[in-house]
Amino acid sequence: MWTYCTGVSITSGKRMDHAQRDKLSELVEELTTSGEPQLNPNKLKEVKKICKVSNDYIEHFYHLTMTQLAQEHAEIRLSAFQMVSELFTRSHHFRVLLVDNFQEFLDLTVETDSDEPLPPPKEVARKLKTVAIKTVQEWQTTYGEAYKKLALGYHFLKQVKKVDFHDVQARTLAERKREEERQKRLERIYKDKVEKATKEMEDASEEIEECLTEINNCMKLLLPAEFDLSDLDTSTPANNSTASVSSVPNEKASTSSDLDEQPCCSKDLELQREPKNPETSTATKTNEEKEEEDPSDEDSDMEDVLDEDAFIRNTGLISHKYSLDLNLSTDLKLKETEENEAVVNTMKDLHKLLSTKHLPVVQYWVQVFTKAGVPEPLLRRAIDFKSSLERALQKHEDLHIDYKARHRRVMKAPEGSDDDDDDFEEVPEKEGFEPHIPDHLREEYGLEPSTSVASKKPVQPQVKCPATGASHTLSRPRKRATDEEQDPTCAAATLRLFKQRLLPQPPSTSSAAGGHVDPTYQASDPSEERDKAPVIPFGLDLYYWGEEQPTAGKIIKNSSQHQFWVPNEVEEEVENKELAAQMKSRYITFAGRFQPVKHRCKTPMPNGALCERQDRVKCPFHGPIIPRDELGKPTNPEDSVRLEKEEWKRREDQPDWRDPELMRDIELATGEDLGSSKTFGKGKKGKGKDKKKKYPNLSDLKKGVNTSRSRLGKKVFNPSSMRRVTDVMNKMDKLKHAKFANQFNYALN
Amino acid sequence: MLGFLTARQAGLDDPLRLRRAESTRRVLNLELNHDRDVDRIHSNGINTIDIEVIEGRYMLSGGADGVIVVYDLENNSRKPQYTCKAVCTVGRSSPYVHRFSVETVQWYPHDTGMFVSSSFDKTMKVWDTETLKPAEVFQFEGNVYCHHMSPIARKHSLIAVGTKDQKVQLCDLKSGSRIQVLQGHRGEVLSVRWSPRYEHILATASTDSRVLVWDVRRASGSLFSLDQHNGDKSKASSEAVNTAHNGRVNGLCFTVDGLYLLTTGTDDRMRLWNSANGKNTLVNYGKVSNESRKGLKITVSRSCSPEFVFVPCGSSVAVYTLHTGELVTMLRGHYNNVDCCQFHPDYQELYSGGKDCNILAWVPVVRPPDVEEEGTAAKGGSQATVNPAFEDAWSSDED
Repeated sequence: MWTYCTGVSITSGKRMDHAQRDKLSELVEELTTSGEPQLNPNKLKEVKKICKVSNDYIEHFYHLTMTQLAQEHAEIRLSAFQMVSELFTRSHHFRVLLVDNFQEFLDLTVETDSDEPLPPPKEVARKLKTVAIKTVQEWQTTYGEAYKKLALGYHFLKQVKKVDFHDVQARTLAERKREEERQKRLERIYKDKVEKATKEMEDASEEIEECLTEINNCMKLLLPAEFDLSDLDTSTPANNSTASVSSVPNEKASTSSDLDEQPCCSKDLELQREPKNPETSTATKTNEEKEEEDPSDEDSDMEDVLDEDAFIRNTGLISHKYSLDLNLSTDLKLKETEENEAVVNTMKDLHKLLSTKHLPVVQYWVQVFTKAGVPEPLLRRAIDFKSSLERALQKHEDLHIDYKARHRRVMKAPEGSDDDDDDFEEVPEKEGFEPHIPDHLREEYGLEPSTSVASKKPVQPQVKCPATGASHTLSRPRKRATDEEQDPTCAAATLRLFKQRLLPQPPSTSSAAGGHVDPTYQASDPSEERDKAPVIPFGLDLYYWGEEQPTAGKIIKNSSQHQFWVPNEVEEEVENKELAAQMKSRYITFAGRFQPVKHRCKTPMPNGALCERQDRVKCPFHGPIIPRDELGKPTNPEDSVRLEKEEWKRREDQPDWRDPELMRDIELATGEDLGSSKTFGKGKKGKGKDKKKKYPNLSDLKKGVNTSRSRLGKKVFNPSSMRRVTDVMNKMDKLKHAKFANQFNYALN
Repeated sequence: MLGFLTARQAGLDDPLRLRRAESTRRVLNLELNHDRDVDRIHSNGINTIDIEVIEGRYMLSGGADGVIVVYDLENNSRKPQYTCKAVCTVGRSSPYVHRFSVETVQWYPHDTGMFVSSSFDKTMKVWDTETLKPAEVFQFEGNVYCHHMSPIARKHSLIAVGTKDQKVQLCDLKSGSRIQVLQGHRGEVLSVRWSPRYEHILATASTDSRVLVWDVRRASGSLFSLDQHNGDKSKASSEAVNTAHNGRVNGLCFTVDGLYLLTTGTDDRMRLWNSANGKNTLVNYGKVSNESRKGLKITVSRSCSPEFVFVPCGSSVAVYTLHTGELVTMLRGHYNNVDCCQFHPDYQELYSGGKDCNILAWVPVVRPPDVEEEGTAAKGGSQATVNPAFEDAWSSDED
């Protein structure tokens, strides 16, 4: 640039005012480095004013702008381009100059040369390109005829670079082509995928459908026919098994007498429905279904109607405006039993198959189809599959099937063998607690004949009978039951215990029936403590807990190490204290609890603030943390004395002439940099800040470089670390050479 | 000019002198002329152009799209504005069109009724200009980079063909067969040229950095190979063979009198050789940027007093004086690499074709009327009346 300027001044020095020219350069630089999307109109006007004076200024301006256009910064280029376009419409001379070098101009603004892309920042570069293309088109329409090269350039852009001047994106053909190719490739991939998926669907659809039908049938088998699965979601069906009456206590009390007289089996219902009167209770009980599913709403409605008369008659309560809240759980609970075992098993398998195999596949199909945009029927079919699968799975969820823990079963002996008068009856092998006990064995276990909890059988007829006899004494089986319950070895006792624990408010009858100290209470106490106790890993010390060990920590030591040659049988026993201790003791590390640091360093800093660091013991900048007041002065006098001493010592370390204040004075006087800011200013001012940015308005190109990669790169590739690495590698190399020096193979290289 | 005219009138000067002076002046004033256009037919880069020497009227061009176009250069409209029309075209719709890029086209030196084109589709076709059908098609094993017919040959009608193969082939138009093979190169032959002085002398340039000069009557081998160091073994770096360049040699051109041979190579150098003995004249042209992987068509001016060389150089055409190596000017007008240029000897015009699909005509600037009294101001005024686009348009608020 400068060489050119001198050239200009030589050729046209007499016609060009030096001051004006300098001002023009200054203005151009200011305008181009402003970094703003629009030029400052006042400055631009001034530029135009200068340029208007003579062609020499225009020439000078042309060269200035061309150098600015060549800068590797899109903002500078954009501003320069705007100035160029301003002058282009004004001056013929400028047009001649610019058109003469139009190739370069296009290179710098429209990016005609793919090897020289526009410089960052990207958005500005894109804007520059679009603006430039638009402007070139405008120029072409106004000046295209007059300036041949302009027309040529326009045609070049249009026909060779295939710039679509109407396209706002102003993409060149190559870019468009690339985009197209990418699209095509994607399409091809999708097509392949779709084809594959369609084929898969063809193959698998039958299987899936089969699965679906099967699982649906299973469900139908498990649930009664009238129980429509689709109603599940509407939460209408009542479930009497879980219905608990949360009515006012007095009502409960009034009915409790009835309950007392109820047969034992009804009490054994896991979750008891509190009947309002015996009649209704029987009515309900008859309605009870296999799976303890319960009658729907209608039933309960009917009940209510029935209630009205019976209620008064039976309870003697005149008002029947008691509010009765029924918590009707919508959940179905299905338990696996022997009868439905096969069905449930199949269903389980099917469920697994559907959820792990079919559903993901179908989801994948849907995904592929939606992405690739296939004809609708295909997609619809896939979606249908998906929804039906999901529905089936949902149904399955709703059933809440309680799968039995799988256990091995021994096949029962054939019927004939039963007749043998064997003392021992063959029983199914049991592992621990048996959730289900066959009816014929119940008595043996001390259980009531029927537990409706587990079985899905209709309630035994004897359930009904006690309803008539209100003041029925304990029947024989009942008596026996209570007896057995007393016996802790009997299963009945355990069951009872469970029941009691399960029911938080045991009915008052239970205590009457039991008549013994509630064992649950005693049991619960240690268990609570157990919860609190810490869990420690098992070790040797626990293994020998409470035992005295004669051999603890003793090691038999052979005095001779020889393999064959054994001296006299001298076995020396050495006692190892450490080992012995290990046998008997246990280390428990006490980590303590983390306590956050509350104090601050509070050392006064050069900027007037106090150090905010919260180190526990020592601040990395200001040494050990000592108590300080709000101004940052040490509260302990000895601390302040020590600090002062340290300060003195540091001062003394620095030679006199490096006293920063003195140096600053000298610097001011001489105007030379002695490095005063370096010596002491380290903590005060960042070094980088001193260096003024040349053009603060331009966006910083280097800022974008601050990525994790670049930061890592800075660390990894800095010279010292590189040197370190090479040193280590050289050393390793050398080691290898030293080790294998006597092998010719390594000695050579 | 007036001096030359009076001297000519008085018979003091050789008639050649005036002619030379004027043509030199014209060549020095070559400029992209606003009035002269060449039809844009090619949809891809232009690889080669050739102007016939009989009338100087028709120009052939071959493009990278395989299309061959014949232009009429003569302006009969009596207006300064003229667009060179395409007379006929072997377009993509033609059944005889070259399938791939046409690398070289050349008029038959003695008649415009025939021309020869060679292409990357491994063929060379001899065309009948009237019917635009190939009269003869030569098939080769590799891409054909170049071919050349001797402009002065009377005793033979051979076409030298440089292909991807190392051998230079000689095709005889009389028999329509390949009659001879010149062996010697070790790389692709990028350029071949017959001497305009001796009809049996042929120069060939190849990617093996060598330029060989042949006498086609001699069967045993080349006459000599050009050596850039003139046999100075100390400079030649341990190579046994003589090299003309330190890269591919892709441009070859005899001067009009055939005494000198110009070569360009991808080492960005241009060299001038004495064609009689193969000595390097050591003219320094400076750096002549050259990145072409194919042949480059350079040309020299005719009947100027210092002769000029026109070399495609990036996106411009460089003009050098032949014997001093001085860069006269750069003709900048193309927007992409220039591949070929051709000098029109009668009108001192230059036509150049480049990858930007343009054929540009560089026409000498007409001497401005030497009318003293009107001065420059009037000139500016008259220009302004001619074209309003040349006017300055300073708005009034900028004072």
